[in-house]
Amino acid sequence: MHARNLVPILAFTCAMSQAQLARAQAPAPDSAKPAAIASVPPPAGWKSCPRCQNEADRKQANIQYKVDGHKFSPRDLSGVWGNQGVGTAFRTPPPFTPWGQERFNATLGEKNTAGEPLHSKDTSGEGTGSQINCDPKGWPRLHTYNYGFEFVMLPDRVLQFFEITHTWRTIWTDGRKLPSPAPEPRWMGWNVGRWDGDTFVVESTGYDDRSWLTDTMPDGGWPHSDEMRIVERWRRVNYGTLEVQMTVTDPKTYTQPWVTAKATIPLMPGAELWEDFCVPSDYNAFNTDVFLPVATGK
Amino acid sequence: MRTLRFGAAVAFVTVAFLSGARASAHHSRAGYDQAKDKLTTINGVVAEVIWRNPHVYLTWDAKDEKGAVVRWTGEFSSPATMLSEGLSRDTFKPGDPLTFTFMPTKAGTPQGLVIRIVRPDGKVVIDLSERRGLLEQ
Repeated sequence: MHARNLVPILAFTCAMSQAQLARAQAPAPDSAKPAAIASVPPPAGWKSCPRCQNEADRKQANIQYKVDGHKFSPRDLSGVWGNQGVGTAFRTPPPFTPWGQERFNATLGEKNTAGEPLHSKDTSGEGTGSQINCDPKGWPRLHTYNYGFEFVMLPDRVLQFFEITHTWRTIWTDGRKLPSPAPEPRWMGWNVGRWDGDTFVVESTGYDDRSWLTDTMPDGGWPHSDEMRIVERWRRVNYGTLEVQMTVTDPKTYTQPWVTAKATIPLMPGAELWEDFCVPSDYNAFNTDVFLPVATGK
Repeated sequence: MRTLRFGAAVAFVTVAFLSGARASAHHSRAGYDQAKDKLTTINGVVAEVIWRNPHVYLTWDAKDEKGAVVRWTGEFSSPATMLSEGLSRDTFKPGDPLTFTFMPTKAGTPQGLVIRIVRPDGKVVIDLSERRGLLEQ
């Protein structure tokens, strides 16, 4: 045997003995709540991303930044908000029109050999149970599913940045009117905002009809047409809480307006947005290495 | 000896028979068998860590019952979510011996949705039982 072979053999032997030791010592998984494992801290002077924090981090940040009872301006929505979107915003739709029903049926994808949905028509980039192509999520799907967002208030516009897919929308507050009709469809729509007392009202139209309001279970997504109009009402009820309610009017798809319940979104004072791009080459590798073999067995 | 020359490793497979109901997840993981009694535990040696969106995944080598080295792939969640669970891109390195517990695939491919990882000294590096809905309600 060549000497060059000895090193890996020794490494193998050592690794095997360590692995056998692990088998002997590793406690069997059980139903008990596991001991808390601390999150990975950010570099000194930086903050974690909203999704990089765990609940203990968020509680600690609220204390550190004195969120309870903190002074605030109700007309200043600035800050990093939430870490997972308003998943309950669109759950029970109004009745479909025939066209809307047809569009919804088209969102249902393939199934595996056990008859379970593979979410194969979901282009959202969520990475679990669907093959990804990095198409934009669009608005309002980014409202229902995000990793946290940031409002930036400027004199003539409000910017809403989203960590997931590293994108944003612009809400113009300079008095301009919505175009009718919008010259081009947009994934994020054409958005204008105004203050109604202390409520920030956003109206939008001109949406690209390929996006969904959100995904549905067990498969598919709620569709919309290029005629969809949305009215959002945002209110900062205290320093640490945003309240939001939305009305989606799309008579081509739904027979009635879809009015969501009021939802609250917490301030993330200890977080800042990092980047979470949908990188096509990374997603292709994930599809090839993980999703397709798991889903199809090949 | 070709396999050894490339530093591959170890193994034996044990299936942990545990009681309980099916796990739930916000999004479909239809390819994985999410029944608690199908959780599988394997000892192996890390081959590669892929720390990228949409989900982190890791490969490891383990020998099957016939002594053949099998390359396994374990799926986690997004890098951001893994940071919140205490895992960073530097936590595991190629050559690390580890014990993996995971949901296996229904198709029987050498892949799994990772639930728990333990080092040889018994240190639990990550435990996603709660996140994967595996705790008793």
